[in-house]
Amino acid sequence: MTRIWNENGFVTDDPWVIESEETKAGSNEKAILGLGDFLAKVAETDETGLGVLINPADDVRRLEGHLDRIGLVAVAFPAFSDGRAFSHASLLRSRLGYRGEVRAVGDVLIDQVPLMLRCGIDSFAVSNATALKRLAENRLPGITNHYQPAARPAVDPGSYSWRRRA
Amino acid sequence: MYRYDEFDHAFVSDRVEQFRDQVGRRLSGELAEDAFKPLRLMNGVYLQLHAYMLRVAIPYGTLNSRQMRMLAHIARKYDRGYGHFTTRQNIQYNWPKLSELPDALAELATVEMHALQTSGNCIRNVTADHFAGAAADEVADPRPYAEILRQWSSVHPEFSFLPRKFKIAVTGAERDRAAIQVHDIGLHLKRSDKGEIGFAVYVGGGQGRTPMIAKKIRDFLPEQDLLSYTTAIMRVYNLHGRRDNKYKARIKILVHETGAEELARHVEAEFAELRNSELKLPDQDIAAIAAYFAPPELAPRAEGWESLAQWKKADADFARWVQQNVQPHKHPDYGMVTISLKPIGGIPGDATDAQMEAVADIARDYAFDEIRVSHEQNLILPHVALADLEPVYRGLVAAGLATANAGLITDIIACPGLDYCALANARSIPVAQEISTRFGAPERQAEIGELKIKISGCINACGHHHVGHIGLLGVEKKGEELYQITLGGSGDENTSIGEIIGRGFEPEKVTDAIEVIVDTYLGLRLDRSETFLAAYRRVGPQPFKDALYGDKTAEAA
Repeated sequence: MTRIWNENGFVTDDPWVIESEETKAGSNEKAILGLGDFLAKVAETDETGLGVLINPADDVRRLEGHLDRIGLVAVAFPAFSDGRAFSHASLLRSRLGYRGEVRAVGDVLIDQVPLMLRCGIDSFAVSNATALKRLAENRLPGITNHYQPAARPAVDPGSYSWRRRA
Repeated sequence: MYRYDEFDHAFVSDRVEQFRDQVGRRLSGELAEDAFKPLRLMNGVYLQLHAYMLRVAIPYGTLNSRQMRMLAHIARKYDRGYGHFTTRQNIQYNWPKLSELPDALAELATVEMHALQTSGNCIRNVTADHFAGAAADEVADPRPYAEILRQWSSVHPEFSFLPRKFKIAVTGAERDRAAIQVHDIGLHLKRSDKGEIGFAVYVGGGQGRTPMIAKKIRDFLPEQDLLSYTTAIMRVYNLHGRRDNKYKARIKILVHETGAEELARHVEAEFAELRNSELKLPDQDIAAIAAYFAPPELAPRAEGWESLAQWKKADADFARWVQQNVQPHKHPDYGMVTISLKPIGGIPGDATDAQMEAVADIARDYAFDEIRVSHEQNLILPHVALADLEPVYRGLVAAGLATANAGLITDIIACPGLDYCALANARSIPVAQEISTRFGAPERQAEIGELKIKISGCINACGHHHVGHIGLLGVEKKGEELYQITLGGSGDENTSIGEIIGRGFEPEKVTDAIEVIVDTYLGLRLDRSETFLAAYRRVGPQPFKDALYGDKTAEAA
């Protein structure tokens, strides 16, 4: 089963549901819409706090100008090997300046979580057993020294300009 | 050369422990092979035909004697007493045990080495001219920039799950010895009219099943913009590179399908956003990294000229070795020595632990402790006084490393092929050995002159056959190995992809076919100064087709 994790631990009352043909958000749930549906809703209503799903082939920059209407952006990893969402999250944070919740959905594995965090993803929909176990034990396989700036703010260790420390 | 600081040491040892944890989970069965695969690949661990294979990074091919000794130690302790130097300036070990790999990596870390990103769909070991810092024709040393790229690309959070592997090469001279035009990104260091250092940027070169020559997308990129521009290219590739077909996933296909001009526009648009970001390189950081690569103090050693002349007169073998394996250094009293890893009839690129130790000794005693690995699978001593060439040669002779064939027909590049590799369709090593033996006589090699033979055991082209003057590609037809021959390839500043000459040859006939090609060349060259490649470019494939297949009978295989 899928659980939602963030750096404070597991979330018990998460309202978000990715909408599809078969799945619709219930009365006390919130819908994560596809990009097209989201843009249509933004144009047709003045609702805020919307959820939007960025699939790998989507252009995340189309969210520009609508950030104040968004409650959550889900970035999709249909397979752990499809790394496009790392760029989507980076652009969302660094280019568009989005500060709300960014959630990794799909094939979320423990060894990728540290990279996702660095790209500005701060919420994780996890179903992999090892990942659930390691997150419950708060054992992230991350490393503290980084050789490049990333979306997540980090300490400048006072070395070369490209280095950062968690 | 670059030395680790505390930050680097902490990073590499953290990384070893991270991998130890992953290996532990794999061995306990907690981590499935398909999820383990990209993790082990990013740490240089492949699963080959018979065993795991460890590929250790030698960044831009530069190492010192202490590191070479560690490579010998790894060969002894974790492998079968030898290692294989590769076309990407790395070394690979073919027989380590998975459970022992974290220990091997921990030992490598003690001499500032690692196996990071020598494989996997990430930015690979950055390569550079093996004569960097010593060559007379150099605008600037490419290694500081390669080192900055190495650091920046290490465990990059955004670019660790790219559509496919990504290779960057840097050259600092007009004469391209790093084959930059067959890399995903090729950087050519140059000076602007105003005297500023920067790069011409090439994108989308590569070999494999769809060989392509890179397109230049920028004439001059100021050095301060190296990381922002590279990030722009990587981001465009990560988002738009094809992921539907592994064989169309390299950036060369994106460049080809998008068009170089259109792709350059995407890159420039992204670069415009990043140009003044925190990725911009401060001059003092570039200078601080460059300082690590300051050339050794080369004292005048003019006495070497006279000694050299005398030694050459006294020993014809030594004279031949100097003629073939020593090239002019930017300091006239010094030379750049190529240590051939291509003994006649031997396995290209292999070295035993004892040979590695011998090279380490010689480098320490006579070569300012500096060693290079060339993409042609040889070792280089970049700074040797002419006055020391004789003892260096004696040391190499004693170690079985004094083959005088650099750049000649027996200086063959070959991939591991079906003897080791899970992807191969055909053997490469035995073919290289037979050709080497056939043409091994020194007089015959000298008569033939410069000729680069490159052999790949499958279409992935690890043996660089597309850019061989003579290229051999092993294929499998109806369960039998067959070798396709290409002619006219070249991986230098005038890069060209070789053309398939006709139907392939069976293993027992391929050396004869090479001999026919060589004899045809010898018969038609204008004089000895016209190399095989120059002659081929002048006359085209027809005389070779006629000689191989008889008039008008040649058909593409």
